[in-house]
Order: sequence, then structure tokens, then C-alpha cells
Amino acid sequence: MSRGADPAEAGHGTGRFGHTELPPRQSAALRKAKRLEVVTLVFMVTAIALVYATMGSSQAMKTAWIEDMLALVPPLAFLVAVHRARRRPSADHPYGFHRSTAIGHLTAAVALLTVGLSLVYDAGTGLVRAEHPPIGTTHLLGVTFWSGWLMIAAMVYTGVGPFILGRMKLPLSEELHDKVLFADADMQKADWMTAAGTIVGVLGIGIGLWWADAAAALLISMSIVHDGWRNLRHASSALMDERARTFDDKHPHPLTREVDEVLQGLAWISDSRSRVRDQGHVFHVEAFVRPIGDAPTIDQLEEAVDAVRSLDWKMHDVVLMPVRDLPDTIPDPRANDQ
Amino acid sequence: MLAAGVALLLSGCGLTIPTDPDGTLDRVRSGGTLRVGASPRPGWVEMQGVHAPSGREPQLVEGFAEHLDAEVEWTVAGEEHLVTMLEDGELDLAVGGFTDANAWMDKVGLTRSYAEVDVDGTTEAHVMMVPMGENALQSELERWLDDHGGAS
Repeated sequence: MSRGADPAEAGHGTGRFGHTELPPRQSAALRKAKRLEVVTLVFMVTAIALVYATMGSSQAMKTAWIEDMLALVPPLAFLVAVHRARRRPSADHPYGFHRSTAIGHLTAAVALLTVGLSLVYDAGTGLVRAEHPPIGTTHLLGVTFWSGWLMIAAMVYTGVGPFILGRMKLPLSEELHDKVLFADADMQKADWMTAAGTIVGVLGIGIGLWWADAAAALLISMSIVHDGWRNLRHASSALMDERARTFDDKHPHPLTREVDEVLQGLAWISDSRSRVRDQGHVFHVEAFVRPIGDAPTIDQLEEAVDAVRSLDWKMHDVVLMPVRDLPDTIPDPRANDQ
Repeated sequence: MLAAGVALLLSGCGLTIPTDPDGTLDRVRSGGTLRVGASPRPGWVEMQGVHAPSGREPQLVEGFAEHLDAEVEWTVAGEEHLVTMLEDGELDLAVGGFTDANAWMDKVGLTRSYAEVDVDGTTEAHVMMVPMGENALQSELERWLDDHGGAS
């Protein structure tokens, strides 16, 4: 397989991760995801500028501003990660560069958790110290009006983008099995929820409830911390070669079971035990099989590898090992299949 | 549009936006007393013997009090003491030639600057202090200063 000269490198060819060519659906999803992330970056930069212009001395707006800056991290992590993951394996990187996704996921998770924790701290101390947020008036184009209205308008703008973009990214993250994209969708959820919370909070301050802003922020920060922690936990476990999980980390990936099912379905195999880890987009499979009777032929082994690989485009690197007895060092995946 | 709609809706329910959490503006209007702290600064707040403070800012304050149908009750003290009194809710307003670069920003509310003066090549943006988060009072004062503060 040659490196440089690859027709797919020019223009709109099929996408790929390392030497795994993406099927047309995933190729299209990848192109769309890249475009969405660029749109996200551009949008967030305008949001950052707008919030900076309207924040005045409001602490809540300042927090929203810092969050918007942190929201740049997941899209950047995604773009860097998919760019790296495209590279073919090299002598120094025989497994390819897929793990860049895991690093991107970890980075995005840390950014998300930081947003949540900073919000908790900010809202918490505001409530404990009983800070009364001052919001005065703004003089703009010859009109004087309460600055709260301007903040609400800014929050409507910064909230709408993430609300739409986040929803568009979720299905793509499933299609591509891309956890950076998934964490980014969580970040966008955090963004629009914070914006909505700030709107409620500023309106509350408007009617004289000084604690409204901090209370709204505290409620929302709980869900952000939860999302950040979940992403951080699963990003770290994935780096520790946890069994592959679904794009949203909710369940062990069904493919981890299907590998053994398909192998055990072959006539010459009496039993099998496999390890499936998530390299980032694609999976790495090590399967140990116990043949019935004599040693299997090369043809039989290749047929088994093909059977596993044809399960899914993600089945990228399959190592098959015929053994006399299944290794008892590998736990039965069905033992803990939640 | 949306903002105006919400404002209309809320005022229909007897709510005004903004409203003071501690009701300062309402109290000044119904009680007829505006408690103002003053700290001397030449050109802005002048002290002449035992009389009430005079000069540019005290004049503005008297005008604002009149606008609210209230009488000014003066307290003359140092800047730090005035800040503490604002924090404790013992004052409704403080003047003393303060600028928007002062160090009390996280303890008291500062009005939008109502006058800008060149001092030694830098621009001083002048503000008044109000209790933190008394947004109705602050907004009322800022509007009033928009109309009357610029004239020197």
C-alpha cells in the first residue's frame, strides 16, 4: 500500500481513517461533520465577541463568555483528531493514528467538565455571598434602556446556534462512531442551556430576585458537570483499552458480542473468545478460536477474518489466533454485559 | 420586539423591570428622603464649613432628589466608609468624584459614566455609587444623568 499517491486525497474522494476506506454514508457524514465544526467555530467567535461587548460588569455574562471560549475546544479537537486519524500507519505508528480521537475526546471532556465546575463555583459563591448583580442601563443609538434586555438578546443569539448545531452533530457522531463529536454535541447542549438559564436569571434579576441568575446557573451547571464527568470517565477508560462501547458510551458496543457469534457460527470453530477495543472510529479485534479437530487451513482462517471484517466498516484490524484452549485471562464478555 | 413584549406582559402583572431587590427606589419615592454619602474631591464635591456639600456632584444629586420628590440627607465621610455604608444599606447613593476605574467595583454598583474629563492626557470617566444590585435606582439615576449630567 503506497502512502502519498492516493486519489482519495484530492478533493471530495471517499473519506478514510488510516487504511480503512469509509463507506459512502460515513464519507458523507465526515464531510458534513467537518463543515459543521467550521461553522461552529465561526459562530462561536461571533458569540464571544457579542458577549464581550454586552457583558458590562455582570458576573454571569463573564462566565458565559469564558464558557464560549472553552466551547471552541471540542470543535478544534475534532478537526485536529480527524485530520490526524486520516494518516496511514507508518513504521513508527503501526496501529495508525486512530487514537488521536481518544485524545480529542479526553480534551473535549476536560473542557466540558471545566465549564461545569467553573459555573458551579461561580453560581455557588454568588449565592453564598448573597451577591446582588448590578445591571444598569445602556445608552445606544440615542435610546436608553435596561441592559438586561441587551443581555437577553445576546443570549438568544448565542443559544440558538448551539441548539441547532448540537442537534445536527448527534446523528453524525453515531454514524462516524466519533466520540469527540459526541462530546462536542454535549458542549453545545451546555451552551444553549446556559444561555437559556441566563435569560431566566436576568429576567429574575429584572423583577428584583437577586438570586435568580445564580440559582438558574447552579441548576444548569449540575447537568454540565454530569456530562463532563461521564465523558471524562469514558474517554479515560477507552484510553485504557476498555471494551468498545457505543458512540454515546451508554452500552458495550454490540459488535463486541457479534464477533464471537459470527466466529462460533463457522463450521470449523467450536468456541471463541475475543477482545475488541476502540481505536477511535475503528475497532481492533483480537480473537482466539478453538478449532474442531485438526489445525485450520490458511483459507479457513482468512475466511474467518473476512467474516468478522464484513460485520461492519469499523472492524478495521482483525487478528485471529487458533488455540488449543481458550485463554482464561480474557473474561467472558457476557459476564458483565450491561 | 420580544423584550418589549415581555416587558408589557410583566407590567400587566404589576411588575416593573428593573425592580430593586431591596426596594430602594420605591422607598425614596414614598419616604421622601434620599440618603447620600459625599466624600470631598476638589472640582466635584466641595465642603465649605458645616454646610451641606456643594459643587458639581452635590448639585446633580439635589436635582435627582427633586426629580424623585425627595430631600437629600447628607453624610460626609471617607470613601471606604461610604462604601461600607452602601453595602450595609445605610446609604442610597454616594458621590466623591469617583471614576469607573475605582477599586470598589465588586462591592457597590457603579453608574454608567455620565461625564468624561481629560486629566493629564488620560480620560477620567466619572460615575456615582449606588447599592449593589439596586437596579431600578441605578437605572433611574443613569437615565436622569443622561439628561442632566453632561452639562458642566
